[in-house]
Formats: sequence, structure tokens, C-alpha cells
Amino acid sequence: MVPLGLGSQAARTGSRAQSFRGRGVFARQFCPQGVLMFSKLIRRVHMYLALFFMPWMLIYALSTIAMNHRDFFRDMYGGEPVVWEKEQEQVYPGTFSEDAEPKSIGLALLTHLRLDGGDYSARRSPDGRSIVVLRNDPVVPRRITYTPADRLVIVEKQLFRASAFLERMHRRRGFESEYVLNDAWGVSVDLVIVAMIFWVFSGLWMWWELKATRTLGAVLMLAGAGLFAMFLFTI
Amino acid sequence: MTFDRLNRRVHLYLAMFLLPWFFMYAVSSIPFSHASYFRTLYDDGTPQWTQRFEREYDLALPEQTEGDREIGARILQDLGLDGAFDTYRPNPRTLFVSLVEFQNRTRVVYSADERRLALQDGQLRWYEFLQGMHARGGFRQDLFLHDAWAWTVDFVMVAILFWIASGLYMWWHLPAQRFWGSLVLAAGAGSFVLFLYVL
Repeated sequence: MVPLGLGSQAARTGSRAQSFRGRGVFARQFCPQGVLMFSKLIRRVHMYLALFFMPWMLIYALSTIAMNHRDFFRDMYGGEPVVWEKEQEQVYPGTFSEDAEPKSIGLALLTHLRLDGGDYSARRSPDGRSIVVLRNDPVVPRRITYTPADRLVIVEKQLFRASAFLERMHRRRGFESEYVLNDAWGVSVDLVIVAMIFWVFSGLWMWWELKATRTLGAVLMLAGAGLFAMFLFTI
Repeated sequence: MTFDRLNRRVHLYLAMFLLPWFFMYAVSSIPFSHASYFRTLYDDGTPQWTQRFEREYDLALPEQTEGDREIGARILQDLGLDGAFDTYRPNPRTLFVSLVEFQNRTRVVYSADERRLALQDGQLRWYEFLQGMHARGGFRQDLFLHDAWAWTVDFVMVAILFWIASGLYMWWHLPAQRFWGSLVLAAGAGSFVLFLYVL
């Protein structure tokens, strides 16, 4: 087999030659064409997955910093970042049976208020006197408090605060409600997970192809693994 | 060394060092994303918590929760336990004091009304172990190694931000990839914004 030398590489188009820049003598001279094409595919998929999922990774990184420094944001806002503001108040034009479940009451209230169509939770208040419904929304969550005694419905919206928004987006998951869009979000999260795992393995592949980086790369990888293991067994 | 090469090398070497954390965050996200499925893995009737002992104990538990960490520290001290811990009130008159450890699950349950506390050991479920690793962070423990872990979490997140910026830089310097890369970038951003609007 004739090894791939500089001559055959020079015959490639400019963009392909550019993509093999920095690959090292090893790849050019000893790897069969199929391996090189696979390597290029790995690189492209690594890049395009990162471009597509950049917003998700940005949110997860920024939100983790916000959660890791909750006290800082609490001080910045002068209190808890979750603040509710009354939006409207009305009397519900209907009644519910005494044994109605909070979840079904919550759905009826949200439908009446035209806030249905998305993820929500409903529970009885600790004193049992009201039903509290939380309508989950990435940007403006709402809290609806219904008091059966006087059929009063109070709707509050959460004031937008960056740290609270980031934490909501980080924690948002799917597959736990009947709404398709919620599951679509859950699928996107799963795809991000798969992408992260792919980035790890494709990154290792790309590192191994760069012979000049093997030693330092291996040292750093072992150092990181050692530090991680130390934490695992000590805290 | 050119800036281009330096950028590539830092992108690579950061990833090599932080590989365990990045891989852990990915894998540990799975039980969060599919929580209801993972809960069914252990519904064979085995109790999640077993009691090591129970005894009488009397300590004031005020309505306000701001002082719960001091109360938790006092309880642990009286039991001869130490280490990082968190507190939680499932109801106003009960306090959970949970020791924070990757490999063990131990908690103290104090009931103010009954004036009793119980020390319990938890069954270490592997998916909860992963979730514990994922959620660990913050500087509330005031213990050196726990703060060190929190700093590494910060470091990983800064690294992710760097990988995004350096990755964009590397992509832009591949002219042949700019068109499709821009389309993919716009598609991803558009999808994300759409989710913000419709969820």
C-alpha cells in the first residue's frame, strides 16, 4: 500500500487540505483513506453538534454559576430571588365538588384564565383552605391561589430575575406531564446529554490523533481523574 | 505559537483535565431527565431508610427556619457526628439533618412535638448517587474540601463558557464551514427561543 504522502495531500482541494492542518505525520502517512474520512466526520459532527446545542450549554453553565453562588444573588436582590406580584383577582364563576383533586381544579382554573396548555402543579395549602396552582413558564411563571370558601382566585406573576430564570431553565425537564411540548423539551435535554457524551469520546479521538499532544494530554487527564477520585472518596 | 494554535491547545487540554466532571454531568443528567422511570427501579418494597437508633431529645424548634443550620449543627454535635450537612423541614415541626457525602446516606430526623430524634441510614441507590454528584455545590458548608469542590464546579462552568467561545472562534476560521455552521447555529438558537415561547 502506498502511504499517503504530501503529494496526495497536495492534490486535495484547499478546504480539505485545511481540514487536515495540524494532523501530524502519523495521520498523513499511515492512515488509510477511510480512517481519515471517519476522522473528518468525527470532527464535523463534534463541531456541528456544538453549534446547534450552544444555547443549551450556555444556559446550563450560567445557571450552574448562579446556583453555586445563591448567597451572592440573594444579597444582590436584597432578598429571595423569587418574588410574586399580584396580577389580577376575580371570583371563579363555578364550583368544584368537595372530593375534586387539586390537579383537576388546577386545570379548570388555568383553562378559565386562559393559562392552560403548559406544565403546572397543584396542591392544597398547608392549612387546607386553598388550592395553590403553579403554572410553570420559562419566563413568567404564575401562581394561582383559589379559595373555595369565597371562590376567590388570585393570580400572581413572578417578577423576572435572571438567577431565578436560569435556575428554572436548568431544572426544567420533560416526560412528567401530558403536554407534547414538555416532552419535546425533555427530548432536547436527552439529545444534549448524548451530545455531551459524544463530545467526550470524539474529543478523546481527536486528541489521540494529535501525536504531539499525547503526553501532556495524558498527564492532564490523569491529573483530572486523580483529583476527581480524591473528591469522590473524601467528601 | 499563534493565537489560533494556543486557542486550540487550551480548548483541548482543559477538556482533558475536566473530562471526569463533564462526563459525570452528562451521565448524571439521565436520572434527572427520566426521574419517574428510575424511581420504579427500587419499588420492590425495600425500605429506603433503616433506623439505626431512636431516642428522646428536646430542643426548641422555632417557626422561622433561618436558624436551622445552627440547630442541625447542635444535633450532630450531641450525637457525636460531624461533617457537611443540610437541613430540611418536611413540616414545620420536623427537621431533617442530612449528612452530605457522596458514598453514604445518613440523616437525623428530629420531631419537636414528640421530642424524639432518630438516626437513619439510607439505601445508596446508584441513580441517587449520580444525582447527588450532579447537585453538589455551593459554599454553605464552610469546609475546605467542600469549598474546593464548589470551586471546581465554577471552574468547569467557566471552561464550558470558554469552550463555547473558543469553539466559535475555531469554527469561524474554517471558511468552508461558515455557511452550514451559521445555519446550524441559527437552527439551534431558533429552537431554543421557540421553546422559551411555547413551554
